[in-house]
Amino acid sequence: MLRFSCLVLNRGAARRFASSFSSENTLPPNLLLPSNLVDPARLKRPPPPADSSLPLLRKCDAAVPPHLRPVQTWVESLEGKDSEPSGLTELHPDVFAVPPRLDILHAVEIWQKNFKRISHANTKLRSEVRGGGRKPWNQKGSGRARHGSIRSPIWRGGGVSHGPRGPNSYYYMLPMKVRVQGLKVALSSKFAQQYLHIVDSLNIPTADSKDLLELIRHRHWGESALLVDVCQEFPENILQATANLKTVNLIPAIGLNVHSMLKHEAIILTLDTVRFLEEKLLWHDQRYTPLYPFRLPYSDFP
Amino acid sequence: MFGLGGLLRAGSSLFHSAGPLLLPARTISTGTCCQIRMHAIPQPKQVDRWTEKRSMFGVYDNIGILGDFKAHPKDLIVAPCWLKGFKGNELQRLSRKKKMVGDRMMTLDRHNLEKRIRFLYRRFNRSGKHR
Repeated sequence: MLRFSCLVLNRGAARRFASSFSSENTLPPNLLLPSNLVDPARLKRPPPPADSSLPLLRKCDAAVPPHLRPVQTWVESLEGKDSEPSGLTELHPDVFAVPPRLDILHAVEIWQKNFKRISHANTKLRSEVRGGGRKPWNQKGSGRARHGSIRSPIWRGGGVSHGPRGPNSYYYMLPMKVRVQGLKVALSSKFAQQYLHIVDSLNIPTADSKDLLELIRHRHWGESALLVDVCQEFPENILQATANLKTVNLIPAIGLNVHSMLKHEAIILTLDTVRFLEEKLLWHDQRYTPLYPFRLPYSDFP
Repeated sequence: MFGLGGLLRAGSSLFHSAGPLLLPARTISTGTCCQIRMHAIPQPKQVDRWTEKRSMFGVYDNIGILGDFKAHPKDLIVAPCWLKGFKGNELQRLSRKKKMVGDRMMTLDRHNLEKRIRFLYRRFNRSGKHR
């Protein structure tokens, strides 16, 4: 009886064990899928084929290393929710196709979280608590334990001996090239996961936030979007449309950072932003080490 | 005494969901009863992940490398003036505070600051293994 049950159980276990070595991705037979399940592989537009008929709107300004080739993406527009991409653009591989260094991303994200942190937690010491200068009772004779002040840390209402002390800062700086590489890795990861979209400009037909949300939902860009453009003044329409939206945010290109890129699902850059970012981020690959801080004037920079 | 009644009420509400079989015939108290009275499982706190502060966190942190080095990220920190772009242990922070802000401080605060600096200097430089 015991041998028979062992045989039956081992057969089932062997079948389950063998399924882990099957090459194709077979789903388990007892899996129940909901009917409205979303498959991102079918929703997003595939990357442009090599023989696409759309014009190449922008080539890379900087020199591409000979062993790499620029990556190509669609250039879309925010005019109507059904508008097709109007062209292709080339993106520099040293900015948008770097190897995904998750440790650098983590380091930059933790730096962004902590370097601004000031902790204002403060406790009073036994010398700072009001009172407690006099010896409460005589050393000997009263029968009670001996004490020197009523604000010692073992007393109720006394000072804290090893508590947090005053406003405390957690400031540190990562090397500049690490922060630059963090930006490049974030952009490359977003591009590789098809969350990066290039747009010719941020002009939208109406200043309606519902239309903008509808456009983002229709194109399956994600739940949250970050719009980035290089300019001091944004068009009125996009300003008003994003003013009341929580998950769709608008920032200038100077404000781009790893935390915002990780928080928002879709990143939407304009062609000017791409040119700006490539120029700023590629300069660090070829620069000399600074003899004095870069904010002081150099003859050949900016 | 009334803690026991509260336990019974909480227990009965749990047991109603569990089924009639688990209702105890009588509850026994063997001494101390816990003073926690709960009517229900507390609601998880609702955190809005998309407030203005949370969605705009970290913007302009790269103002140096993307903005021609006219500003530094340490200029963005909101902090007391002796802590902007500075990190140190307690003695370093207090001595910097005394240098920068000491003549503006209240007398009691300044007196406590000086006492603490004196204590920390003697502690770090004259006692222990690392001096």
